[in-house]
Amino acid sequence: MANRVAIVGIGQTYHKNKRPDVNMPEMVNEAVRAALVDAQLRPKDIEAVITGNMETFEGVYLPDHWMAVEAVAFRTPGFKVSTGGTTGASAVEEGFNFVASGLCDVALVIGFEKQDTGDTTAAITACSTPVWGKGMATGAIGEFAKQALTYMEKSGAKEEHAAMVRLKADRGACRNPYAHLKLGLKSVEEILQSGYLVWPIRLLDFCPQSCGACALVLASEGRAGKITKKPVWMADMITIHQLPFRAGIFGDITGTEPYSQEVAAEKLYERNGITNPIRDIDMAEIYEPSNWEEMSLYEHFHFCEKNQGWKMVEKRMTEIEGEFPVNPSGGVLATNPIGATPTIRIAEAALQVRGDAGEHQVTRDVKTAVATALGGSNWTVMTLLKRSL
Amino acid sequence: MTQKPEYIHIKYTKPRYYRWSTGKYMGKVYKEARDNKKLVTNRCPKCGELLWHPEPVCGRCKVYAGEDWVEMSDKGTVLQYTYLVVPMWNPHMGERWANPYPLASIKLDNGCYIYHFLEEQDPEKLPKVKRVQAVWKEEGRGQGLGDILYFRAIEE
Repeated sequence: MANRVAIVGIGQTYHKNKRPDVNMPEMVNEAVRAALVDAQLRPKDIEAVITGNMETFEGVYLPDHWMAVEAVAFRTPGFKVSTGGTTGASAVEEGFNFVASGLCDVALVIGFEKQDTGDTTAAITACSTPVWGKGMATGAIGEFAKQALTYMEKSGAKEEHAAMVRLKADRGACRNPYAHLKLGLKSVEEILQSGYLVWPIRLLDFCPQSCGACALVLASEGRAGKITKKPVWMADMITIHQLPFRAGIFGDITGTEPYSQEVAAEKLYERNGITNPIRDIDMAEIYEPSNWEEMSLYEHFHFCEKNQGWKMVEKRMTEIEGEFPVNPSGGVLATNPIGATPTIRIAEAALQVRGDAGEHQVTRDVKTAVATALGGSNWTVMTLLKRSL
Repeated sequence: MTQKPEYIHIKYTKPRYYRWSTGKYMGKVYKEARDNKKLVTNRCPKCGELLWHPEPVCGRCKVYAGEDWVEMSDKGTVLQYTYLVVPMWNPHMGERWANPYPLASIKLDNGCYIYHFLEEQDPEKLPKVKRVQAVWKEEGRGQGLGDILYFRAIEE
């Protein structure tokens, strides 16, 4: 029987397009300090440090070596994790494994990305094997454009619904002190006026590039109660990989292949006795690279039936005040420091469980929350959080 | 603290060169495309599915796939397409992407899927492009799938 693991400290930087005022280790240190202050721990209490970063996005190599001091990792076991978009959640899973296995009692997990150095689209383009279709990659946007078109054709969703998702994200972001894009959008029309990047993806349909870091302190059952009065229990974590789709990279436009999201959700729900996700779970923080993808993710995670995702948006079910809030933080559409993005999903879901999300705390009482991550060739990491086990 | 940050610019002008190995299986695709303007792939001996691109192992059956080479059709049907609206650069190769750069997922007539460019450049006409055929480069082949210039709409 594995040890039970709780999140006992949460810290993040504010997120911005550029952070010329700090270097990468200094930026990471801001999140580390915030998490240690939140947990009321000192650096010497940390027994393992796991960092998560997609270093090629910054055009660097082994940046974890630069920040042994700032990440309180000096003479502490640990390593860096790089798994594409899922990096920040894979790092949390490693920390979870450290504590659950009894290797240590208190672990620090840090996801970070400083995208004002380097070229993220260049790095993503380099993900295609150089001898197969390199010239035909347009980074992530082209793939999500095809996903959006297919979703539109299959489900009957309109551009207005995608705009409503963006509006929801922006309302959340404007209430979240750490969010990057706070645009103060007022109407669907305003979003429909933004220009196309790759048809039919508009500038406002897609996630930004942000600089930022997020740190979590994880503790064993024996220590968690001594550290905090409000531990958030990590009930379960799961990672599912996927054979590449035959007709797409992030989505199957033929509609015939199972998604890693579906497989991950079904396994996670079964292991934890969840039979009706939107009844048994109180809110979700999901990794949505585009507003179109958010609607199809509702379906993949079984928050609704197939082709009904846009109806959840239309009924305002996933708003902060709704019956099943999704991404009250503003989500990835507002804030996307890639290596930190999935860590933030888990952090924000944990803040909701603790009741400490402040202005973007959802209306309903959150006892159970789920956080998801998307990356690589459509990998999925899911984390189930609970107030009590 | 309202002091403006100071940027230090360091300029590099050295071009980057790469030498990639195609490997045995992909090498066959490169060779057939260059020498014969043909698309080829191999077949899994267990499930019989075409492994596209060719692979030494079938991912689903997890068996050695061998060298049962099959010639593929270079005709197909457009399944989904998109095109660039804002001008962008291919940051890895340092070349500017053409605009609008229509890119499609095409289902080849043998059931395999390929991502490639379309000849049609007019966004208004793109939805009508359904049946397509590869147009091969006459010169400078040896770039694998890049030996196909684009897919052209055909009437049948």
